[in-house]
Amino acid sequence: MADQFDLECRNVGKNFDRFVAVDNVSLTIPKGSFFSILGPSGCGKTTLLRMLAGFQEPTSGDILIKGKSVLGVPPNRRPVNMVFQHLALFPMMNVADNVAYGLRRRGVDKATINRKVAETLARVGLPDSGPKQISQLSGGQKQRIAIARCLVLEPAVLLLDEPLGALDLKLREHMKVELKQLQHEIGTTFVYITHDQSEALVMSDQVAVMNAGKFEQVGTPQDLYYNPQTAFVASFVGESNRWRGTVGETTGDYVAINLDKGGVILADKAAHASLPTGQDVEIFVRPEAIAIGRSDAAPDPVPGNNSLTGTVENVLFNGAASSVQIRETATGHEMSVALPQTGAFANLRAGDVINLAWHASQTRCFAGVLPSGIEGGQS
Amino acid sequence: MAHSTRPMTDWRKAKLPVFAFLAPATIIYTVFMIYPLLDSIRLSFYTSVSGGDLTFVGLDNYRTILGDPGWSATFWNAFWNNMKFFAVHMLVQNPIGIALAAVLSLPQLKLRNTYRTLIFMPTMLSVVVVGFIWQLILSPVWGVGPEILDIFGLKSLFGPWLGKEGSALITLALISVWQWVGIPMMLIYAALLAIPEDLVDAAVVDGASHFEVFLHIKLPLVLPTIAMVSILTFVSNFNAFDLIYSVKGALAGPNFSTDIMGTLFYRTFFGYQLQLGSPTLGATVASLMFIIILVGVLFYLFVVQRRLSRYQL
Ligand SMILES: Nc1ncnc2c1ncn2[C@@H]1O[C@H](COP(=O)(O)OP(=O)(O)O)[C@@H](O)[C@H]1O
Ligand SMILES: [Mg+2]
Repeated sequence: MADQFDLECRNVGKNFDRFVAVDNVSLTIPKGSFFSILGPSGCGKTTLLRMLAGFQEPTSGDILIKGKSVLGVPPNRRPVNMVFQHLALFPMMNVADNVAYGLRRRGVDKATINRKVAETLARVGLPDSGPKQISQLSGGQKQRIAIARCLVLEPAVLLLDEPLGALDLKLREHMKVELKQLQHEIGTTFVYITHDQSEALVMSDQVAVMNAGKFEQVGTPQDLYYNPQTAFVASFVGESNRWRGTVGETTGDYVAINLDKGGVILADKAAHASLPTGQDVEIFVRPEAIAIGRSDAAPDPVPGNNSLTGTVENVLFNGAASSVQIRETATGHEMSVALPQTGAFANLRAGDVINLAWHASQTRCFAGVLPSGIEGGQS
Repeated sequence: MAHSTRPMTDWRKAKLPVFAFLAPATIIYTVFMIYPLLDSIRLSFYTSVSGGDLTFVGLDNYRTILGDPGWSATFWNAFWNNMKFFAVHMLVQNPIGIALAAVLSLPQLKLRNTYRTLIFMPTMLSVVVVGFIWQLILSPVWGVGPEILDIFGLKSLFGPWLGKEGSALITLALISVWQWVGIPMMLIYAALLAIPEDLVDAAVVDGASHFEVFLHIKLPLVLPTIAMVSILTFVSNFNAFDLIYSVKGALAGPNFSTDIMGTLFYRTFFGYQLQLGSPTLGATVASLMFIIILVGVLFYLFVVQRRLSRYQL
């Protein structure tokens, strides 16, 4: 069965002296998929990728590519190639020579090299760029040449280390879509690392969320977004309104969470059955899970609905992604709520008082208190 | 980044501080560099007749040095010796400097700082001391050179290198290389360190060996530094004097075989033994040295440097 997976890590760990950079990571990546590793800066993403590429040997565990262990195999003998963070195109060679470099090192004959270089340049959509100098390319073109240089060697797995990090925002948005498209067309397995959650969510089939050397959760983007398993994932992927509180009493299907600053939020009992009464928890609610209404039209009391009122502090208009910042009346807690796209609240102004409502099933609680300072990678 | 509009400098108001800041450097440079240079060029158009009065003679001094059979033989001998001296530096010092820098920048290397300090140490020694040490080593009478070669069974190869017309200049050039090789090594080492590691890694994934990485990736990126090192070598070689003088004296023996521009200038200007010194002919030699160096530097600036591309990394 092992050959179903292009890449497999078994309990891989890496220590630098006594510092643990990668801690017991296991993963399997099916052939042809787009796999992202998402985590804050310094969590060990690059270290993990460099072990996959063969620049560093793991301290423990095993790495298998196409079912074969590659421990001790040097980088150029592994069927992987890597797109570097700053692309690392050779400035002293033109585009064609950059792409041809790996083939030349492998002693491929000239005619084959020329054919493959032309094919690959066509595949990344830059068929005529061969004679150009690297400095003549735009940021997005450099990106594609960096990928072409790797693809020409026909690797089983392409590793990408934050390749969009150096681009400006607009180009980054564009390249996200383009990379996904490219991967889809060529069918090579991509392992993509990033600290930008939106890159990971938009492009990936599977995302591993990494924190402090460990995988917190591996799943589809939807999984991570709607069913985060840890407080870290909930806070790092997407935006959330957050409170701290303790688990209170259960009524029927719902459990009440008493907020530290006063007030109560209801959550599903079934989803939080493992949390004992009195447990300190972090509470997360997505901005788009909260429905807003005018204060004069009081919402119907639905069982299990959380209902709060608040004062509008700021309207952050951004087309379809507009939101409002609200100061909650009871606790003084600042909340962010997505505006419905219908334009029904187009005339909302700072100072307006509105009702907020969401169902208990939209509330997520995680045991323990997260150290502050870890926030979702907003972009 | 936001484009902030910087307030324009108001030059009328700024004038005083600008001149105040520029003045010290300008004055010192003018007094100690530009004025002596121009004055010595001026001196080369004069000759001193009977008792020190200067008379303007136009280009006569240049005609003497380049045209008079005795003078021109001496001049061209010194010039070509100087070219050989420079050639040895280019062919030996710079390749060794590059190789040492390449080895120093290998990530696996242990005791890096020790090697660097040891190799750099001779540049801090006085040239006179270096000349003296090497004379002691290479002396066929009481030198340790033959004994050291004997350890490797090569004693038969030893010769009085500093004393033979055919080998004296090259031996002196190699002594100079031994002393100064640390400078190109350090400059090129610094340039190598500035190469992003990603670039090397990218070549390694593509299957390049250490040597290929050096040849294809690192060398082109340090070429501007190597060119700069070369022109610095050229300038210092054509200004060289001290090593030859300390080992061979101003006569640059045997039979002027180690005579270079610097020693020729010294003899011409100050005189030596039977030869009388002539400040005006000395100034002519100095002006010719200036012209040679100027031509070399201009060649570097307008031909070499323009062809070398500096890559943005
Ligand atoms: N060669 C090394 N020696 C010591 N520590 C290292 C080395 N490489 C990385 N680290 C440490 O490992 C941690 C993870 O680094 P890295 O994998 O580069 O993080 P990321 O790519 O997720 O930002 C960092 O704390 C870093 O300081
Ligand atoms: Mg990194």
